[in-house]
Amino acid sequence: MSFIPHFSAHQIFIAPWTTDFSLYGWMVLMTFLVGAACGLVGNYLILRRMALMGDAISHSVLPGIVVAFLVTGSRGTVPMFAGAVAAAVLTTVLIEVIHRHSRVKQDAAIGIAFSSLFALGVILIAVFADTVDLDQDCVLNGELPLIPLSPPMTLAGMTLGPPAVVRMGCVLFFSCGLIVLFYKELLLSSFDPALASAMGLRSGWIHQSLMIWLSITVVSAFEAVGAILVIAMLILPGATAALISDRLVVRLGWSLVHAALSAVLGLHLSIGLDCSPSGAAVVVGSFLFGVAWIFGPQDGLVSRWWSRKERGPETLV
Amino acid sequence: MRREQSWSGVRFLVWTFLRLLIASELTAATTTPLKVTVTVGMVADLVRQVGGDEVVVTALMGPGVDPHMYKATASDLVKLQRAEVIFYSGLHLEGKMQGLFEKMATAGRSVRAATDGVDKARLLKPSAFEGQYDPHVWFDTALWSGCIQTIQTVLTESRPAAAPVFSRQAAVARGRLEELDRWVKIRVDQVDSIRRVLVTSHDAFNYFGRAYGFKVVALQGVSTVTEAGLADVTQLVDFIRTQKVPAIFVESSVPHGTIERISRDAGVRIGGELFSDALGTPGKFHQGFDLGTYEGMVHRNVDLIVEALK
Repeated sequence: MSFIPHFSAHQIFIAPWTTDFSLYGWMVLMTFLVGAACGLVGNYLILRRMALMGDAISHSVLPGIVVAFLVTGSRGTVPMFAGAVAAAVLTTVLIEVIHRHSRVKQDAAIGIAFSSLFALGVILIAVFADTVDLDQDCVLNGELPLIPLSPPMTLAGMTLGPPAVVRMGCVLFFSCGLIVLFYKELLLSSFDPALASAMGLRSGWIHQSLMIWLSITVVSAFEAVGAILVIAMLILPGATAALISDRLVVRLGWSLVHAALSAVLGLHLSIGLDCSPSGAAVVVGSFLFGVAWIFGPQDGLVSRWWSRKERGPETLV
Repeated sequence: MRREQSWSGVRFLVWTFLRLLIASELTAATTTPLKVTVTVGMVADLVRQVGGDEVVVTALMGPGVDPHMYKATASDLVKLQRAEVIFYSGLHLEGKMQGLFEKMATAGRSVRAATDGVDKARLLKPSAFEGQYDPHVWFDTALWSGCIQTIQTVLTESRPAAAPVFSRQAAVARGRLEELDRWVKIRVDQVDSIRRVLVTSHDAFNYFGRAYGFKVVALQGVSTVTEAGLADVTQLVDFIRTQKVPAIFVESSVPHGTIERISRDAGVRIGGELFSDALGTPGKFHQGFDLGTYEGMVHRNVDLIVEALK
């Protein structure tokens, strides 16, 4: 038995787009939708130094799940999802409260909020529900390869596709809509909150709306594809794009390109290695970040080396 | 004109795509064996026995895989999509996958929980919550044989021509489980009833304990996210000392660390590694029984427990 299965170029590169397209097509589309939706929000998180929000929320949903179970007595998707969204929103509020009303910085506030909520969840399980298998992986987080199997959603006689894909598509659509409508407000309050306030923008409101939107995006993505892909895609597309351009609108575009490439190349990698497709997409996403780091047009290692050679030693600011 | 043509091309592609999606493809000729995909090895074994040569069984979770922690791969998607029949263990053993299986069944796919046919009144309900059962049914061999009827029914629905074969093989399988149950009862009789205490890492052996008269003490709850508390560990160490428990056990699909520490603290030896939520490696044998089979799993577990405690 070997860890790397037999290599078949047809099976890895051609079959997914031909004979197996009805299965893998949805999977790759879903990976892209998650990558794009998370990547767009992720750009703003990176600017606000809150890139680890995804990781934080992936832990802090636990008490929400437990409370939802204790109230409804069911491990069904709807109560679990509702509990998780509520806990995620609570996390963002808690972070903001800690950050505003103490000297603690944002990153530390994130750490405090999510670890205490996670601990609360663990204690709730130990006290009230020790005999029930109740954790994120068991009751909330979905899996990418299982999405194409669920019966397709129909609307007015039209067959749309697996419900998770339709839902994520809506989330992405609304994300794009919000960004288009509030582009200027989001831009200003992310780059320079002080200036934004001085100009009469209510940064507090903008921030909290962004956080609520983040909570919904992240939890619906957890529900569909599990935590690992979401956490990575909140950071990788935005971070990669930040290495390519300084302009926000260009960055948003590159995040979408990053999400698409991760989805397609990740699919082939996961079939080749027969591994978790989410994991494979993240590996590809990290690889793309590495490429941007080395070959980035302004700040890349290669161009830096080149300009140093041209201009001689530069002074560090 | 050209534009219209290209549109009809697009429409054709979309339609083919959708039809491929909806159609549960591959209505195979009766001569080829029925493609059955199952989640865990314990169910795979029963399906193989009942189906015999009429089925090809593919299991998603291999030896030593904890079903609570399982992550699906790309090829699992193909295995599930191409299957004509899907069996899972049920009672929430597969976690969130169960929701998907139920939806697939509603949509008309042949998907069934093997434990559907088990008498609900005999299931353990460890918590106060309605409808939440202990899923580890296979450790009570007599109860587990309740799955055979369900498997036989579903296979017969999919392949009516083979009904007599399935019925005969189901009877044989039932007979084998009865014999196994008798063997377990005789074997555990070698342990004094006062020494029948089974200390393991997680809550998987409650059915075994009830069926064969063991007091079962587990360090962890069912969920894997809560670790054993310090108080649990201390209590367990005290319990082992005062009850003079001769040996405690680790499990194949749960990390060994905490039980090893308790073994050192309480000065008690580890009786061996029990199979809990997954079968062993096929092709490895214990007393002539393949560890990749349900019988092999039960024989090995019971022998370890009896030898360590008697």
